[in-house]
This record gives sequence, C-alpha cells and structure tokens, in this order.
Amino acid sequence: MSENWVLKEDEAIELLALLITSARIQMDEPAHYAPMRLLTATERLSSAILERASDKSRDFLQSNIERIPELRMTMSDVEAYAAGLDDLCREVAECLLRHSNISEDSS
Amino acid sequence: MNEAVLENIRTRRVLREMTEEPVAREQIETILEAARWAPSGGNLRPNRYIVIQDPETRRLIRLVSPGMFQKAPALILICTNGDVLIEHSLPPTDRALLIDIGTAAQTMMLAAHALGLGSGPVTSFSREAIKVILNLPASYSPEMFICIGHKAPTARPGMKPWKKITWRDLTHWERFPEG
Repeated sequence: MSENWVLKEDEAIELLALLITSARIQMDEPAHYAPMRLLTATERLSSAILERASDKSRDFLQSNIERIPELRMTMSDVEAYAAGLDDLCREVAECLLRHSNISEDSS
Repeated sequence: MNEAVLENIRTRRVLREMTEEPVAREQIETILEAARWAPSGGNLRPNRYIVIQDPETRRLIRLVSPGMFQKAPALILICTNGDVLIEHSLPPTDRALLIDIGTAAQTMMLAAHALGLGSGPVTSFSREAIKVILNLPASYSPEMFICIGHKAPTARPGMKPWKKITWRDLTHWERFPEG
C-alpha cells in the first residue's frame, strides 16, 4: 500500500470538470463514445499524477499516456478497441497487485 | 475547372495534435472572412464567431470540453444568435440553423487548410459551462468549436473509417423504383 499524495487540488478539480461535463454530453452522444471519455479521463489523470507516483505505478501511468491517444483512434475497429481495453484492464490489475499487501501464498 | 479547390477539399483532414505555435491574426481574419461567404439559409446570418487565443481561457475551455483533444493555439466558437431567430420568427429547432453551422465550419476548415494550417471541429463540450467561462450574452448559443493550429510533427493519422466508402456508396441517382 502507498499513502503518497499524488494529485494537487487544482488537478483534481480539473479532472472533476472533465468527468462532470462528460456525464452531461454523454446524454446527447452515441453510447460508444462513453469508453472514449473514460479513456480521456484516464490519460489526464495518469499525466497529472505521473511525476509524484511511486515506482510501483510509474510504468503503468507512462504506458497509459503513450497508448491511450492511439487506442482512441481504433474505436471503429471494435475488436481491436476491445483488445486494447482488455490489455489496459490486465495492466491495471497488475498495478493493483503491486500496490496491495496480497502475498503469493494467499492464493 | 479549378483543380486547386478540389485538391484542397480532398486533402483536408481533421487535426487533433497541434503545436503551441501561435496562429497569425491575419490568418484568423482570412478564415473568418471565408466563413462570411458560406451559404446561409434565407441569408439570415444567425452565426456569430468568437475567437479565443488567450492561453488560460483556452485551458479552461478544454477542461469542460471532453471532445477537445487538441491543445489548439486558436479557437473559433460558432454560436447561433437567438436575437436573429426572434427577429425573423424562426424556431430554435429550425434545421437551417444546423446547416448554417455546418457550412460555416467546413468553409473555415477549408480556408485554414488553404493557409497551410490544420483544424478540427469539436461539439463535445458542456454548453452551460462554456457560457459561464466566456460570459456569453444570453442570446448566444454555443454550437461548435473550430480548433486551428499547426500540425505537430508527432501527429497521428485520424480515426480509422468504420468501413471504406466512396461517393458511389453514398449516392442514388434519380427516382427509387417501386416496391
């Protein structure tokens, strides 16, 4: 577990603005835009916390910043889009494990 | 035949990655002048254009515009002026208003391309938040941003098409047959 503070108040408010405005505009937009909005939030949060993040997270965050803009562009190729999102899901799970106290013999 | 115009239309692309290099005032004015000549339903001209170059204002706009991936050095916001609708007894749902926004937007993007600039439209933003940030008059309805700037060397290609199409796929000639 890490108790580092990685987000400044201004950065948190900026992320809130993105999430709130995304929630509203999603009501008028196609459903398949929703993952794109969440990816944009993920990319911005990764950028905001990268500098202050611990080694346990840094590679994962850097990977998000580099890959998400490209992943967004594959939206029209549903299989590739889902595969890219699955990759991110696996990576975030690995990042969670690095942050957890879970031990190998607890399985 | 004016091949240069057709070539400009064929080669324009939406640009989502731009450099911080400012766009010259004269270039923005050329783009706005081009938009002035865009077709307008009934020649009523309900569009109003707001140019934003101030870095902090652009930053705030981007924070409430989830669809604005660009960090563009210049933004043009196309608004519909409700006073014009009242003056001509047009309902706000009149389809010509949307067409006016579209013709102005495409004309601006083609003009930007002709000037060697990149551009991209953005409609995914909170209208209410934009009204607050820009202190818009009550009669102005913000409809679409046109982001304008210089192409970043690292710019990626645009979104892949859902499927390959030609103009033939989009066109039917003459009357549809019965049955």
